[in-house]
Amino acid sequence: MPSHTASDGVLITGARIIDPASKLDKIGDVVVAGGLIRQIAISKSERKQISPGEVAMVIDGEGLIASPGLIDPHVHLREPGFEYKETIESGARAAAAGGFTAVCCMPNTSPALDTPELVRFAKDRADGAACRVFAVAAATKGRKGEELTESRLLAMAGAVGLSDDGDCIASAGMMGRVLSACRDVGLAFMQHAQEPTMTKGAAMHAGTVSTRLGLGGWPRAAEEIIVERDVRLNAGIGAHYHVQHISSAGTCEIIRRARREGINVTGEASPHHLVATHEMCEGYNALAKVNPPLRETSDMKALREAVADGVVTVLGTDHAPHSADEKALPFEEAPFGFVGLESAVALYVEGLIASGAVDWPRLIALLTIEPAKLCGLDRMGLGRLVVGGPADITLIDPDEQWTLTRDDLVGQSWNTPFLGRELIGRPSLTMVAGRVQHQRLGERLGSAGIVFPS
Amino acid sequence: MAQVGRSGRAGGRAGGSAVRNRKMSKKVGSGGKPTRTASEVVESPQANSSTRAVVAATPRHLLQLEGMDRVTLTRLLRRATMHATKAEAGENAEQTLSGVTVANLFFEDSTRTRTSFSMAAFNLGARVLEFGATTSSVSKGETLIDTARNVEAMGVGVLVVRAKQSGAAEMISKDAGASIVNAGDGRHEHPTQGLLDMLTAAQALGRVETLDFSDLRLAIVGDAVSSRVARSAIHGFTTLGAKVMCIGPSAMAPKSLETLGCTVERDLDAVLPDVDAVMMLRVQFERHGDASGAKASPLIPSIREYRVGYALTPDRESMMKPSAIVMHPGPMNRGLEIDAAVADGERSVILQQARNGVFARMAALEWVAAAPQIAK
Repeated sequence: MPSHTASDGVLITGARIIDPASKLDKIGDVVVAGGLIRQIAISKSERKQISPGEVAMVIDGEGLIASPGLIDPHVHLREPGFEYKETIESGARAAAAGGFTAVCCMPNTSPALDTPELVRFAKDRADGAACRVFAVAAATKGRKGEELTESRLLAMAGAVGLSDDGDCIASAGMMGRVLSACRDVGLAFMQHAQEPTMTKGAAMHAGTVSTRLGLGGWPRAAEEIIVERDVRLNAGIGAHYHVQHISSAGTCEIIRRARREGINVTGEASPHHLVATHEMCEGYNALAKVNPPLRETSDMKALREAVADGVVTVLGTDHAPHSADEKALPFEEAPFGFVGLESAVALYVEGLIASGAVDWPRLIALLTIEPAKLCGLDRMGLGRLVVGGPADITLIDPDEQWTLTRDDLVGQSWNTPFLGRELIGRPSLTMVAGRVQHQRLGERLGSAGIVFPS
Repeated sequence: MAQVGRSGRAGGRAGGSAVRNRKMSKKVGSGGKPTRTASEVVESPQANSSTRAVVAATPRHLLQLEGMDRVTLTRLLRRATMHATKAEAGENAEQTLSGVTVANLFFEDSTRTRTSFSMAAFNLGARVLEFGATTSSVSKGETLIDTARNVEAMGVGVLVVRAKQSGAAEMISKDAGASIVNAGDGRHEHPTQGLLDMLTAAQALGRVETLDFSDLRLAIVGDAVSSRVARSAIHGFTTLGAKVMCIGPSAMAPKSLETLGCTVERDLDAVLPDVDAVMMLRVQFERHGDASGAKASPLIPSIREYRVGYALTPDRESMMKPSAIVMHPGPMNRGLEIDAAVADGERSVILQQARNGVFARMAALEWVAAAPQIAK
C-alpha cells in the first residue's frame, strides 16, 4: 500500500464500485489520500487489511454506487458576459451538487471564448471552484461561422473541444475547414445542429402543439440535414465529429448509419430529451422552451434506443441558466434552455435505467469514461477509478426518492420545467481530487473534527 | 373595498417572488382556459343591485375559443344577439358594467378591435381607459407583464389585451387579479373575432334561433397558419357543428392545421360551389419575417400568382351558392385577396361583422365581469 498521511485520508466502505473503463462492478472499499486513489479493495483479504484508524473519515457506502467522478461535456456557465445568469464559480457549485466533478463549458459567452487568452481566463476563473472546469473554445471567430479560430493555440491553452454551440456552422465550406482543423489538432468538434434558415422565429417543436398555440415551429429536418451534411463531409476528413443534444429520431438513425460506415461520429443526449415531450410547452410554459426543442414520444423513445445500442455515447445536460425575468417573458421572446446539473442524474435514471435502456455500469460509462474520451480528459486520468489516479469520485444513492425544489438548485438560476417532479436516484457525495465538494451523507459519515462543505 | 376588481381576489402576490410562485404553481395544459370553473361571486358594496356586474373571487378570463363548450358559446352568442336586437330597436343597453373599469391595453396596432371594445364598454356603462402601450415597452426593462400589472394596480376590473406574442393574454392572466380578455395574441387566437364571425354567420344564414351550424360549411381562405382569426373561427365554428375548411398554398395552409379539427384543401374553385360562407384572410406580410412591411412575402412567389389561386374575384364569387356569404376580418388588402366588387357586393357581410363586433364584445365583457345576466 502506498504511503500517505493519515490526516487527509478517506475510506469508503462497502460501496458498489463501478468503473466501466476497467469493467469493474463489485462491492468493495476505496481509500483516498493526498488527492489520489490509494487503494481499491475488493477481495475479503484486501478489505481486511484496511484499517479505519489510518484515515480521518470513514463513509459507510453500503447501498451506494461509487463511480468515477461524473463529467458533463456540455454546460453553459455564462462567464464572461452574463454573470447575472451564472458564473463559473456558481455553475461549478451546481455541478458538484449534481455529482459532477468536471464540466466543459461552452463558448457562447460575451465575448465568445475564441482566443487562447479567453480560454486561459476561463481556466483562471475556475481556480478554487467546486469542480474541474474545462473550456470548449469557439470554432469560428465570434461564433459567426466566417473565420477559423486559432485551433492549435486554443488547444495549447487548454481548450478541450471546439464548438460554436448555440449557433450552427451553416456554411458547408466553413464546416469542412473546421473539421480539418479539429482533426489536425486532435480536438473533437461539437455541433449544435440547426439549419438556420428553417428555424428563423422557431420557438418549439413543429407539431400539433405549436400549430394550436400559434408558435413558430422548429422542424426535425433542420437538425437532421445538418448532421447528414456533416457526416458526409467528415467521411473524407476523419475528425471526431460530435452531435450535441440530439432531439430527433431521424438524427439517431443518421448517426447509426454513419457509424456503421466507420465515420468518426458520436452523439449526445440531454436529460430533458430523454424524459419530456413538446406537450410540456402547453399553456405557453416558457420554462419548457429549450433548443433544440422537446419533441414527441417517438423521438424520446428513439433517443433512449440510441443510447441503448451505442449510437449515443455521451450524456450532457446543456445546463443553460437564465434569469427569472428572462424566463417570464412571453414564450416567443423568452430565451431557450434549462438548468440541468442538479437534477441530471435522477432524470438519466428515469429516462435510461427505469425505462430499461441501459444498466448502471453503462449509465456510469456514459457519464464518465465516454465524455472523458470525447474531451481528452482520459489522458489526465479522469473518467476512471484507478489506483494512483486522481480521486474524483461520485457516490450515488440509486434508490433515493426526492422531489426537485428550488432549494435543490444551488447555482444562480432556477429555470427548469422539472420543479416539483418526483425523482429517484441522487448523488450523495462529490469528491474532486480527494476533496469533498458536496455531500449529503448524513449518518453515513463517520468522521472526527473535519468540516465539509454541504 | 376600495378597488373594483381586486378586493375579492384569492391569494396575494408576494413582492419579488411573484414570478416564482406563478411558474411553480403552474399545471401544464390546465391554466387559464376560459372553461375554468365559474368563480364564486361576491357582492361588492356599490353593486348590490342584481343588474350590476359583481366582482368574482377568481377572475374569469376569455383567452381562447379552443376548449370553450357549446353551452358557454351559445350563452355568449345569445347575449350578443340580444344586444343586437335592442340596438336595432334603438334602445340603450342595460348598464351592467357601471362602476367597472375596462382598460384597453394594446401592445400592437389595431383600429377596429380597439374601437369596438371601447364602444362595447361604453354601451354597458363601464369606465374605459385607453392605455397607449407600444411594442418598445416590451423589453427586459419593462416587460409586458410589468405593464399589465401596473395598469391593473390602478384598479382596473377588466383588461383587454392585444399583443404580438402568442400566449401573451394567457400569460398575463396567470397572476392577474383583473379579468383578461384576449383581443388577439400573435398567431394564436382572437376569441371575440370568432364570436362576431359566428354571430354574423348565424344572422346571415338564418341560424340565430338554433345556433346549430351542423349543416354549415365554412371556407377559410388564405394565410391561415399566421392567423389568430382562423384559429378562433376553426374552434368556434366546429364546436357549433360546422365543417370548416382551410384553403391556401401549403405554406399558408399546411396539412398540420387539420389537427385543429378542420380540413385543408388546395383548390378554391372546387370548394366554392359547396360552401355557405367564405372567410377571406388578409395576407399578413408583417408576420412572415420581413420587418420592412413591404408587400412581399417569402411564403408566396408573387401577388399575381397568389391571386390566380386564391383571390376572391367576381368570377369566383359567381360560382358560390346564391345564399352564401363573404366575410373578411379586416383590414382588407383590396385587389389582393379580395376584389372591391366582392368586398362591397351583395354577399359581403363585412360591415355587419364590424357592427356585430360591438355586440359580441359587450357579451364577452359581461361574461368575464360575471354580470348576472350572462353568468349563470
